[in-house]
Amino acid sequence: MTSLHSIRMPMSREEARSLRAGDMVLLDGEIVITAGLPTVQRLVACAEEGRDPPIPLAGGSLMHLGSYSRDTADGGLEVLYMNPTTSTRFNALMPRLIRHFGLTAVGGKGGLDAACVEAMREVGCVYLSFLGGGAPLHSAAIEAVRDVAYPDLVAHYRLVRLAVRGLGPLTVGIDAQGNSLFDSLRHDAEARMPEILARLAADRAGAP
Amino acid sequence: MPITYEAVKALSAQLYDWSLRAVPADTKDGLGRALEAETHDGARQVLRMMLGSARKAEAEGRFICSDAGVPVYHVTIGTAARLEGDIKAAVSDGFDELVATIDPPLLKHVTNPLTNERGYKGKDMPLVTWDVAGGADWVEILCQPKALGSGRWAALETFSFPTLAEIEAYVMKVVLQAGSQHCPPVIVGVGIGGSFDVAARISSKATMRPIGSTNPEPVLAAMEERLLRAVNATGFGPMGTGGDTTALAVHVDYASGHGYTPVAVCFNCWINRRTRARIHGDGTVERLE
Repeated sequence: MTSLHSIRMPMSREEARSLRAGDMVLLDGEIVITAGLPTVQRLVACAEEGRDPPIPLAGGSLMHLGSYSRDTADGGLEVLYMNPTTSTRFNALMPRLIRHFGLTAVGGKGGLDAACVEAMREVGCVYLSFLGGGAPLHSAAIEAVRDVAYPDLVAHYRLVRLAVRGLGPLTVGIDAQGNSLFDSLRHDAEARMPEILARLAADRAGAP
Repeated sequence: MPITYEAVKALSAQLYDWSLRAVPADTKDGLGRALEAETHDGARQVLRMMLGSARKAEAEGRFICSDAGVPVYHVTIGTAARLEGDIKAAVSDGFDELVATIDPPLLKHVTNPLTNERGYKGKDMPLVTWDVAGGADWVEILCQPKALGSGRWAALETFSFPTLAEIEAYVMKVVLQAGSQHCPPVIVGVGIGGSFDVAARISSKATMRPIGSTNPEPVLAAMEERLLRAVNATGFGPMGTGGDTTALAVHVDYASGHGYTPVAVCFNCWINRRTRARIHGDGTVERLE
């Protein structure tokens, strides 16, 4: 059976290292999200130039989640809906961010590549896979919007700090030991392909 | 009575709104069957969440995904339909009206491919395919908001007098390339033959066929069945984190061609957004999906 862990965010490095690929987690606390490539490029520029990002990331999380945020009448902020985007779009930029900010959790959907897995292993960071098409569930877990940065960007590209309660369950897709479900599943599927093609040939031979 | 600009505009807006807030019935049934058959614990949990998300979206009128996609419409005009006004502009104006009035607002996904700037409008947007139905007195509109997650992984290769083995091996190559990325379990559409553009269109149209329907061509019905088994044997599973359910359906169609044979493969993610309705000659609107 897969085990379900309740985790307080930001996740401690020890907790990140204790999780295993395939575990499921529920998150409470604060997370930082964006779905924008230009946003992640700005964060890399902060790292390169030694500047602080507009929302602190050190020892925290950065999730590839898109959201629609807007100002409320009372001067606050609200997120109307939230959902993951494809993480592999950020492959080239994530190792720098994971190492520089010592992130303990990243996430989105579809996983990250081997260079990211290596950075996560070094730092003690996990990748959490969110349900795509899960906007009704993810949005209901938002307690409050703490901060929104980069308002010049379109809504889903903004950097947003959120308080969440019971966000998930999310699957640990990559653990801090260097195990990636995405890599192992791809490897297994490739290894299985000759057998799959042979079965197709056998089925064709018996088909109309 | 004529089918008017106003009727087509209103229906184009309405179909998009409906598409965003529900998973089609055939797809929920497919997910339910997958949950019964799935042997992997984690995958069962993900499938249960999918069904829960679909139920919550429908019950509370919420968007199922934050990626509202780009507007894709297929409009079929009956040759016996009487039209009044600029029906072509009506589809585009209907989407504009939706953008202006929908609550909650849509994110900006329409992208200029030369600059990557994003907005609600752009060249040739909405993406509309126009078709004609002989003798019919209706106009049918199918709406399929197309998102990035699954749209990104479509591919096409042109072969010369390929065997079925080569065609199926190519389908599996594209499935492997997409891997965990396209929000599985997906609907796989395969278009064979015709020409470059025709094969792509056939594959896209194949994703719109209801899940559970049987291909009327026995050769293709058998191909769909064995390809579905093959895709699910890859093990990528729901959301690509492992399991028996990588696809809910494989749908194949073809057109005659020359001997150079394009094979197009495209995917629709598990939410499989799709709505369809007809405006009849007497002015009534019939919701079909």
